[in-house]
Amino acid sequence: MNFFLHIIVMIATTVPNVLGFNLLFGRGKIFHFGPLGVSIVAAYGIFLVTIATDSFTLGIAAGLLVVSLASAFFAWLSLRLDADGFGVMSIAVHLGLLAVVLNWSSLTRGALGIPRIPRFVFLDSTLDFALFSTVVAAVWSYILWKIDKGPFGRKLIALSEHEWHAKSLGIDRPQVHLIAFLLAGIGALLSNVLYPQYLYLLHPSDYGFPGFVFFVTVVVAGGPGSVRGCLLSLILLSFLREGLRFIPMAPDILGPLRLILFGLILYIAVYCRRDLLFPKQRTV
Amino acid sequence: MQLLANALIAGSLAALIAGGLALVYGVLGVFNMALGQLALTGGYIAWWLHQVAHLSLFVSVIGGLISGALMTWLTFEVFVRPFYKHHRFLPLVTTIAWSMILDGLILLVFEERPRSILSGGKSMIPIGSALISKEQCIMIILTIASLLLFAWVFHCTPFGRKLRAVVQHESAARSLGINSAVLHRVIFIVSGVFAAAGGIFIGIDQNLSPTLAFSLTIKAYAAIIAGGKGNIWGAIICAYAIALLEQLLVGIHWFGAFYVPAGYQQTVALLFIIGILLLKPSGLFRSVSRTA
Repeated sequence: MNFFLHIIVMIATTVPNVLGFNLLFGRGKIFHFGPLGVSIVAAYGIFLVTIATDSFTLGIAAGLLVVSLASAFFAWLSLRLDADGFGVMSIAVHLGLLAVVLNWSSLTRGALGIPRIPRFVFLDSTLDFALFSTVVAAVWSYILWKIDKGPFGRKLIALSEHEWHAKSLGIDRPQVHLIAFLLAGIGALLSNVLYPQYLYLLHPSDYGFPGFVFFVTVVVAGGPGSVRGCLLSLILLSFLREGLRFIPMAPDILGPLRLILFGLILYIAVYCRRDLLFPKQRTV
Repeated sequence: MQLLANALIAGSLAALIAGGLALVYGVLGVFNMALGQLALTGGYIAWWLHQVAHLSLFVSVIGGLISGALMTWLTFEVFVRPFYKHHRFLPLVTTIAWSMILDGLILLVFEERPRSILSGGKSMIPIGSALISKEQCIMIILTIASLLLFAWVFHCTPFGRKLRAVVQHESAARSLGINSAVLHRVIFIVSGVFAAAGGIFIGIDQNLSPTLAFSLTIKAYAAIIAGGKGNIWGAIICAYAIALLEQLLVGIHWFGAFYVPAGYQQTVALLFIIGILLLKPSGLFRSVSRTA
């Protein structure tokens, strides 16, 4: 039962972040490979201020501010660079932020992470967490689904299909990008206000590159742009990821095997979904 | 002086990798995100041949380069070729998957411990007020020789003219009878050999560690983006510039008050590109492509 509740918490706390990433990468075809960079900013912003002031309100407000700034920065980069160049640069920004967190030990405690993360008063047990995070995930999924099906979603699709045509129809690319990045940033904020509380720990290893590959795998396997598909693939892949812990193997073997397995799943997913991921065919 | 020497050493490594990659981007228009892992594979194989199989250093280095070529060929056939004609952005995702697989394989086979191809201390040669090891001198000379050879092939031989034709306009080159498919494969493998040479360079000069892979990749692509995508010489110049900035950042006693911790060194490449993007979004030395 505990394991089942744990899986529910893991899935529900990941949902807002993954769906935000799906909006950008799956629906908008924007090569934002730094969603965990925004997550680092969100998590450290919220909990450093919360611990310093003993106030969740101030912590979340600070988190919202830094996430907005980080999202606006990524949006600016996406407008400034070619799509693939932005992909590489967003990874660089993510790794740069991780380097700052790991090296600014006086503030972040570096690789040790921040222990004894405070919890909301109403989140006492794993069951409380499972219920609350599921409600948050469900509400956020509905909001994003409505946005995706509404005029904003259509603008995003139009820009991803043919930027010039979309612009000629009056779609403002900078505005659409900024809104999409801010929405993804809010998703990161929602995920990261809950996840460290659940673990009682804010640790930089949770924001490494394998975490990003998990996000890409979820979006590609679920069907890029599809909210329902992403939710389904997130559930299945989370069961797989968490279930692997029960294989009786040494951690120094299990860790690399997990990397290989998720790399293979991503490759197969891209191979099967390549028409959905990038439907355009080269003519020359 | 020592900072300049260190920049020359680090820049040679980055230039070696970035030069080959810039050519790949110029011709195929794809990013290979598994490049750092391919570089490390070449280095680890050379380490294994020298330290475990006890072969001579020369044979081990050749073995490392050949393994780098074979791994890059495999990368091209499985993770790039089935996708890049479909859409040139797809290999960006598939090579990320391959980088994860290679990361796992490197950890399983070679473990997380640092590995050095040469054991024991290195004899240092004083050059001015700087100290450089004999191995570093040889590697800098070999890097510059490789880049000059590459320049000669690219600019002065029939093969180089075919390459430049494909870079400028692939369809026109094909209509002139140039087999672009073969050239794509050759260029990709050459970039992998350069990367493997970079990995062997690290293994001889410092220690090989699985965690180095992504910083290698990012640094090489930083040089490519800053140099103007597809411009080989722009990428090489920027690779040296980034290395110099990295050394200056951590080596200077800033305002006589503090040193920047070495952990921030890899963020320099990022700051460098952001600065350049503010000034010139298309890169410092953007190639002017023919439109007709």
